[in-house]
Amino acid sequence: MYTARWRNTGERKSDSGEGFVERSQVLFFAGSGIMSNKKLRRVGLSQELCDRLSRHQIVTCRDFLCLSPLEVMKVTGLSYRGVHELLCTVSRACAPQMQTVYGIKTQRSANHLPAFLSTTLSALDEALHGGVACGSLTEITGPPGCGKTQFCIMMSVLATLPTNMGGLEGAVVYIDTESAFSAERLIEIAESRFPRYFNIKEKLLLTSTKVHVFRELTCEEVLQRIESLEEEIISKKVKVVIIDSIASVVRKEFDTQLQGNMRERNKFLAKGASLLKYLAEEFSIPTRRKEHLYL
Amino acid sequence: MQRDLVSFPLSPAVRVKLVSAGFQSAEELLEAKPSELSKEVGISKEEALETLQIVRRKCLTNKPRNDSTSDTSCRKCTALDLLEQEHTQGFIVTFCSALDNILGGGVPLMKTTEICGAPGVGKTQLCMQLAVDVQIPECFGGVAGEAVFIDTEGSFMVERVVDLATACIQHLQLIAGTHMDEEHEKALEDFTLENILSHIYYFRCHDYTELLAQVYLLPDLLSDHSKVRLVIVDGIAFPFRHDLDDLSLRTRLLNGLAQQMISLANHHRLAQVGNIVQITKPERMHSTVSNHSQKHI
Repeated sequence: MYTARWRNTGERKSDSGEGFVERSQVLFFAGSGIMSNKKLRRVGLSQELCDRLSRHQIVTCRDFLCLSPLEVMKVTGLSYRGVHELLCTVSRACAPQMQTVYGIKTQRSANHLPAFLSTTLSALDEALHGGVACGSLTEITGPPGCGKTQFCIMMSVLATLPTNMGGLEGAVVYIDTESAFSAERLIEIAESRFPRYFNIKEKLLLTSTKVHVFRELTCEEVLQRIESLEEEIISKKVKVVIIDSIASVVRKEFDTQLQGNMRERNKFLAKGASLLKYLAEEFSIPTRRKEHLYL
Repeated sequence: MQRDLVSFPLSPAVRVKLVSAGFQSAEELLEAKPSELSKEVGISKEEALETLQIVRRKCLTNKPRNDSTSDTSCRKCTALDLLEQEHTQGFIVTFCSALDNILGGGVPLMKTTEICGAPGVGKTQLCMQLAVDVQIPECFGGVAGEAVFIDTEGSFMVERVVDLATACIQHLQLIAGTHMDEEHEKALEDFTLENILSHIYYFRCHDYTELLAQVYLLPDLLSDHSKVRLVIVDGIAFPFRHDLDDLSLRTRLLNGLAQQMISLANHHRLAQVGNIVQITKPERMHSTVSNHSQKHI
């Protein structure tokens, strides 16, 4: 599902905080590979060349870069040097921007974005270098009954807390595939862990309004939900995305005994993972996938 | 090569005869021997030979000159030259003595090193460590170079690199303390956290198209930043795993990528006296499904 996306191309200006904020406020739609699906017409190639290429079904940057130089020579009729220049032009249109690590670091501190969301379990926080990493995908695995869903519910509470209490002061998207989420339990955890903060009923209700639960029962639905998450994230100021659990929905649909299912399953998982990672990086939110391990 | 015969500097008479004999492009011409050509077209053997030479020369000039020259100069050096080169080439230490011992000093320059392993074993950590270690000044036994980090998986953590760099600085300070040398002190002045982080050039590629594009642009990047001694591709096989259904295309692209990297290493060895090592980190270079993905789930 690819839709149009607008993004600042061209020279990247100095790594100021504004650039990053601008990006997160721009309305764009899900789908990794926007750069690679860029039409060659927009790259700056001559109309004649584009027409010639489209006659051979080469329309996007991706199609073009998958060809070997020899094929490009055959299709365009250019010399090797010409082909090389053409490849560079197309590559420049879809290659990622360079950043130095120092630039990334200063950008993050300028935006006051927290690097980790503390789990308030000190031993775990120490092991994880501060907590659950913001801006990347974290997987929680373990045998059934060890407390993964409870952990996820607790993280939901933490995410809604104000920043002076170690939270992210934002909303949570909770994609529930097992119908294991219990709102009652959410309130219970909030009350018992932070009794002084949640002393008024209103605060509890406020927290529960910030957790958006989506019940998705099939792989297809989960993927569609992830793809449409961007709008939710922007409109509801979501700070944490939890998927509970990806393994159960995959196990239900893909019987690993059957041939060919393995590939489909991996494809689905990889696609989901790359979409989530993309979201995590764009919005600098921690995303969590819960999995079971059955050995 | 489908080049039209009209574009070659042949004499008009010969050209007319070639065209009337049915030859349209250079490709068809190159298949023929001079004697066959002269018989078929009706020109003298000398004319046929001359024609073929012109066409061949023109066709060859379109092929990359730099590749051919680098090939010949590569072929010309003796084993002794290579031995000297190998002795003087630097290594990038990993700070894991067991690993350094096995590798003979560290990750070698002018070579492509592949790091493979199950998920979670420490490949990205090693890559990040190397990105810091390549910058160690020469008086401490390092290579004093910069690093390019191409990330396809998104597992690069800035905070972790800060930790590694800080630890490296402290380690070097300890060593400098024992030496009490002015040279060491001066080198350490430049080896600050800010400098280390500024010399790691980071690219985040989200899919294989961006990876391919980035690799095509690497030569220009390397000439702009001539101090780069290390190119890391973290997860070279990852973007090819889920998006490509066409297995033959996948294999071809991966092989092409590997070849480009190798030719890049060679080319820059010639262009600069300096050296380049590349680390690619494939988990699986081929398209077969392995146990790794199962463990991952």
